Amino acid sequence: MHDLLEIEGISASYGRIQALSEVSLRVPEGAIVALLGSNGAGKSTTLNTVSRLVPITRGSIRFAGEPIQAWPSHKVVSSGILQVPEGREVFREMSVRENLDMGAYRRSDAAGIKRDLERVFDYFPKLRERLRQKAGTLSGGEQQMLLIGRALMAGPRLLLLDEPSLGLSPVLVQQIFAIIQRLNKDGLTILLVEQNAAIALGSSSYAYILENGEMALEGPSETLRRDDSVRRTYLGG
Amino acid sequence: MDLQLALIFLQQGIASGLVSGSIYALLALAIVIIFKTSEVPNFAQGEVFMAAGYVALYLFVFQKLPIWIVLPATLVAAFLAMALFRRIVLDQVAKSAKDLVYLVIATLGLSYVLKGLVRRTGFGDTPRSFPALVPTDSVMIGQASVTILDLTILGAALAVMAAFFWMFNYTKMGRAMRAVGMNPKAAQLVGVDLKRCHMTIWGMSGVISAIAALLIAPKILMTADMGSIVMLAFAAAIVGGFSSLPGAIVGGFIIGIVENMVGLFISSRAIVLAPFLAILIVLVIRPQGLFGGKLTIKKV
Repeated sequence: MHDLLEIEGISASYGRIQALSEVSLRVPEGAIVALLGSNGAGKSTTLNTVSRLVPITRGSIRFAGEPIQAWPSHKVVSSGILQVPEGREVFREMSVRENLDMGAYRRSDAAGIKRDLERVFDYFPKLRERLRQKAGTLSGGEQQMLLIGRALMAGPRLLLLDEPSLGLSPVLVQQIFAIIQRLNKDGLTILLVEQNAAIALGSSSYAYILENGEMALEGPSETLRRDDSVRRTYLGG
Repeated sequence: MDLQLALIFLQQGIASGLVSGSIYALLALAIVIIFKTSEVPNFAQGEVFMAAGYVALYLFVFQKLPIWIVLPATLVAAFLAMALFRRIVLDQVAKSAKDLVYLVIATLGLSYVLKGLVRRTGFGDTPRSFPALVPTDSVMIGQASVTILDLTILGAALAVMAAFFWMFNYTKMGRAMRAVGMNPKAAQLVGVDLKRCHMTIWGMSGVISAIAALLIAPKILMTADMGSIVMLAFAAAIVGGFSSLPGAIVGGFIIGIVENMVGLFISSRAIVLAPFLAILIVLVIRPQGLFGGKLTIKKV
């Protein structure tokens, strides 16, 4: 399987603070790859360099073989890389329907958009019931579903999921991860950022662990799950 | 004052207030669409209004170009001036300074530049008048006397507002602009080109200001200081909540009517106080403005 996303030795900084140094990772087409690490380790920054919200100072990012590190963020979206950000970044004052329409912002194929809307309802039937409701009034779980749905409306090839479990009840986390598995089976490649290492290692095939902006460890998720140091630091024993 | 006279004053105050209010409403709208998306109060809005008036004056009176060229040329000039200011000056300032205050100061800079340019041309030395394109004959509405020009101003302003309302709510571009106002990061993540969106918004804000200038120019004497009218537009925006488009429009009409009422019922010398009185009353009763959302405390 070839690599859909290849991050090669990238560094990034906020002002004088070095956020990432020489980070490399690969996401093979069709895989779920997890990126783990504690708070502030640089996980979200890594996703934001791919989405071109944070510039890199060195290294390269390739998507389907093409270097994208000089692209504007909207071109990244057009090419099929969609980030599902953490922290309920919905358009709060817009209806659920308008949020989903915004997801298809860069598309103009009406038939395809309609098909994808039905697909979103298929994954998240609840959203169909809430179409006219303002996104800001949805529950935390529903907002997370809306965020994933919004990204699906763009017709993505690669989904960058940032902490999908954050602030959700265990039952909802199970539901969201079941959907993530389904999306992957239906052909989506996924780079998953999580603090919840147990569930992330359980649902991915390969994982990377960031510490203080540097890649500390990587390996097949199965192997990392049995690794003593990983168990101590990230799996609570 | 007997009741009969008071009733006439009331009608006249509302009629005249709606006309001047429509100009304040347009300028307030121009200010608010920028504030909602850039979080910057554009202190050059009044000078953009003034400069657009002079562009029209120059093309129409001095170059004697036909009006069907003058009108679009003025609007295009206003659009380009504001869009390029956003793209070239503000993006550059934002790159080197993280604080929004620098952007605000840059807009003050633009206001001085525009005033200086108009002064340099010499057109601003003496007050000039722009010929009216519609008759200024009076008509009576109820017991209020207004001119055909007044009615044209009000009608045109309402049409412009309706057009922008439609654009913001029912077009893809308008929806993207609202998205940028609500959550710029999320807007970028669905593929909105932030720079282009900001340019378009600033350009449109320029066009709205230019329309206001074209509408009011025949009614006033044009000077390089005519941009100070923007104080009333800021008052209108504050009354409306500063981040609400309907609020800006309603605020504009309120300020216009209050101003005229104060002039008729109290004294023409008290007119300058009217907008501040309106702000004071509204902010005491509803600190978030008439159409402002819930009060939120921002951590700094």
